[in-house]
Amino acid sequence: MADDPYAALGVSKTASDAEIKKAYRRIAKTDHPDLTDDPKAHERFKAASAAYDLLKDPARRARFDRGEIDAQGQERPQRRYYRDFSEAPDNPYRGQADYGDFSDVFSDLFGERGFRQGGFGGGARSFDMRGQDHRYTLEVDFMTAARGGTTRITLPDGNVLDVNIPAGTRDGQTIRLRGKGGAGMGNGQPGDALLAVTVREDPDWRREGDDVTTVLPISLDEAVLGGRVQAQTIDGPVMLTIPRGASSGQKLRLRGRGLAGSGGKRGDQHVELRIVMPPQVDDELARFIETWRKDHAYNPRAAGGKGR
Amino acid sequence: MIRHSMTRDEILSLIPDLSPEALAALTEAGVIQPLLGEGEPRFREIDAARLQLAVELEEMFRLDPEALGLVLSLIDQLNGIRGEMRAVLGALAEEPPETRARLRRVIHETRLLRVRRE
Repeated sequence: MADDPYAALGVSKTASDAEIKKAYRRIAKTDHPDLTDDPKAHERFKAASAAYDLLKDPARRARFDRGEIDAQGQERPQRRYYRDFSEAPDNPYRGQADYGDFSDVFSDLFGERGFRQGGFGGGARSFDMRGQDHRYTLEVDFMTAARGGTTRITLPDGNVLDVNIPAGTRDGQTIRLRGKGGAGMGNGQPGDALLAVTVREDPDWRREGDDVTTVLPISLDEAVLGGRVQAQTIDGPVMLTIPRGASSGQKLRLRGRGLAGSGGKRGDQHVELRIVMPPQVDDELARFIETWRKDHAYNPRAAGGKGR
Repeated sequence: MIRHSMTRDEILSLIPDLSPEALAALTEAGVIQPLLGEGEPRFREIDAARLQLAVELEEMFRLDPEALGLVLSLIDQLNGIRGEMRAVLGALAEEPPETRARLRRVIHETRLLRVRRE
């Protein structure tokens, strides 16, 4: 920001708190980046809000006036304005745009944004009108979305509902609850509640299309000798055979253990092996490896890192 | 699945000027619609940005939640159209000059001339 916060707000050094607030408010009204397009206004607003942050606090203002602190370092962390979100095509707060006769041209170019608001076959002939559709966003955890299940939600009107989440639900999918929207007029049917689903990120599960990837830690001895260990799948734990001489990064495929795809066919699960050393390399292990190395040294980098 | 959401406490500490009462009132009025789900409501980045703007609009123009709802809805519509306009202009920028000239003529006839006549 500018070196002089008073100048940024256009007030004198003796301005009262009320005058400072008024000056900030005046600049914000005209220059707020969410209310104007002018890039110069954005700069003015940024400088004014940094200045206001400093001067509105009497203690900080006094320290600044005594020269104990300067105006630098007062900038707010990079702020994301509402504009960044509300211009995006998936702004959940925006209803469907309606361009009348050109609606088909619009959907040709932009696709249909969710469902149309309101209903069809509406009140042109009578005063019966279907109620409005209400849109919400529903957050579910990864497992519920993958396995399917029910989740209990409370709508803003106080209605408590058990929502059925179908197995293999994806981020961005919409669940329609018939008749749970706004009340209809006359004999009109109530509208629907439309729930746009977001699936919460899960550090243990990565999704790629219908496939999922998990990481399975294995011990040193399991890696060398192979063995059977338990691994988590969407359907619960299964026993998995670790091949003798497994390496970190090696992937084992569990066919049909992924997410339910559109055709009802399930994707695969890829289990990535990760060798985990014992908590402590004791003398016995170190001695054994030293002896072993004498005759068996090998270079895993011989392939130039192009191996696994 | 790359969505990050916040709890009520996280959003309150992110926006110091937002009081718990104001958050409740804005949610009640439907100005903010947090994520539904089991347990506590959760907030997205867009909710945070929207709340920040709502707090500022409230402060600047002394709006009540209903008026705020109207202003934000207009901003949603305007910015949505702005985003679409940008996309159309971006697509047109890729078109050859003849296409743009043809469109210019049509736009001139349907919009500029009609506006003048009325």
